[in-house]
Amino acid sequence: MADASFCPDCKRSTEVVLDHSAGDMVCLECGLVLEAHSIDETSEWRTFANESSENDPVRVGGPSNPLLTDGGLSTVIAKPNGAQGDFLSSSLGRWQTRGSNPDRSLILAFRTIANMADRLGLVATIKDRANEIYKKVEDLKSIRGRNQDAILAACLYIACRQEDRPRTVKEICSVANGATKKEIGRAKEYIVKQLEVEMGQSMEMGTIHAGDFLRRFCSHLGMSNQAVKAAQEAVQKSEELDIRRSPISIAAAVIYMITQLSEEKKPLRDISLATGVAEGTIRNSYKDLYPYASRIIPASFAKEEDLKNLCSP
Amino acid sequence: MQIGSEQVWLHMAQYNLEGCQSVDLAEHPSGIVPTLQNIVSTVNLGCKLDLKIIALQARNAEYNPKVCTGAKSEEQSKLAARKYARVVQKVGFQAQFMDFKVQNVVASCDVKFPIRLERLALHHNAFCSFEPEIFPGLIYRMKDPKIVLLIFVSGKIVLTGAKSRDQIKRGFEQIYPVVLEYRKVPQIGNEGKDSRDPVPRQLT
Repeated sequence: MADASFCPDCKRSTEVVLDHSAGDMVCLECGLVLEAHSIDETSEWRTFANESSENDPVRVGGPSNPLLTDGGLSTVIAKPNGAQGDFLSSSLGRWQTRGSNPDRSLILAFRTIANMADRLGLVATIKDRANEIYKKVEDLKSIRGRNQDAILAACLYIACRQEDRPRTVKEICSVANGATKKEIGRAKEYIVKQLEVEMGQSMEMGTIHAGDFLRRFCSHLGMSNQAVKAAQEAVQKSEELDIRRSPISIAAAVIYMITQLSEEKKPLRDISLATGVAEGTIRNSYKDLYPYASRIIPASFAKEEDLKNLCSP
Repeated sequence: MQIGSEQVWLHMAQYNLEGCQSVDLAEHPSGIVPTLQNIVSTVNLGCKLDLKIIALQARNAEYNPKVCTGAKSEEQSKLAARKYARVVQKVGFQAQFMDFKVQNVVASCDVKFPIRLERLALHHNAFCSFEPEIFPGLIYRMKDPKIVLLIFVSGKIVLTGAKSRDQIKRGFEQIYPVVLEYRKVPQIGNEGKDSRDPVPRQLT
């Protein structure tokens, strides 16, 4: 409580005490008030360790977003609970939309990306990267007329690829709002080209491999650990072969082969649903893969006789 | 034939000329000659045309802005252009034959061995775009000559965006050694990738 400070009356350094009730700093020797109404900057309320950390009263507002112009400090008037009619037509609504928030479209886009990311169960890193990519593209202004949904979906797709957790275009399609595979593909090419022009050669996105998706497809189907490992080995070996099919189709065909060899056989329909590959395509890829079955399936998983049991396509 | 007000666009149809004559190795060191598939050219007739009248009066004419017909070689393209100019003349317009220019030449060929597209895309990252989900072929954008090549796993290559037959030839001769490096060697009972990893080279 006692500090040392220079007292003008005593003309020397004296002990000073802080009186909290009035916020005064008082010299102990002569009683002179050195500073009145000093603002107490300690916490206003007590927080305990075992209380719910959902609403930490020490913190106000959400995390600051460096992508928005002022870190997202602006205030939004929320729609009141139990409000009748359309918020936008009421006076409060009009005042809210009239405000010149330069980031309005950006915030809307971020919200859409967040929606899509949540539906796919993506982590915050991928979502943030997608937001960054969108901001960079948005700055270029040349996407004005383009299909906004496709651009957002493509940003998410690129973010997944850059984080080495690729998602198939079909998966992105499933959560994108009406964008087709073709549109997303075109948007992706466009964005990559624009960003390469802007920032030099920094778009390092490797080609997709069947193995990247295998783990996820297998867990959707509920395959056993052994089967998953066998499938991963099989896919590794299949890359040596000369099979001219999309990597996703190869992954689906390998899963089909592995499940046919194990006890829990999955029907084509389930595999088709989990991977997004059509049943006919899986059958055709299986036909291409069948001659090499002995080479790609690891010996630890299935012996030669089991392979003979494998149905011929 | 597409007729705009002054310019005429000619797309000429494809035909397959299987190279039965022997290949001059001085001209084509790779031993393979790309076959031309499509040629697009423009010519300026030098007068305003009324499209409705031409469509009604000339034979073999459809007034359908999206229609294209096709061409085989540059000489045939020019010949066809002259023929169409004649047709337009007969209808009654004062057509001239100015600024005949070939705009685009498309060719295809086969190197006859499978190619490792992924490795090629990895090493020539700056020029290649390979998305097997979107399109099964690798898109190689060559800077000099400025053409686009579609390279497929089977070994078939499509060259487009060239303004002349010479550009096609040069482009193909440049890509042939690159594609040779990434040839897929069929492994029979031999696990593991081939140890010889091609060193990335800069192409102009």
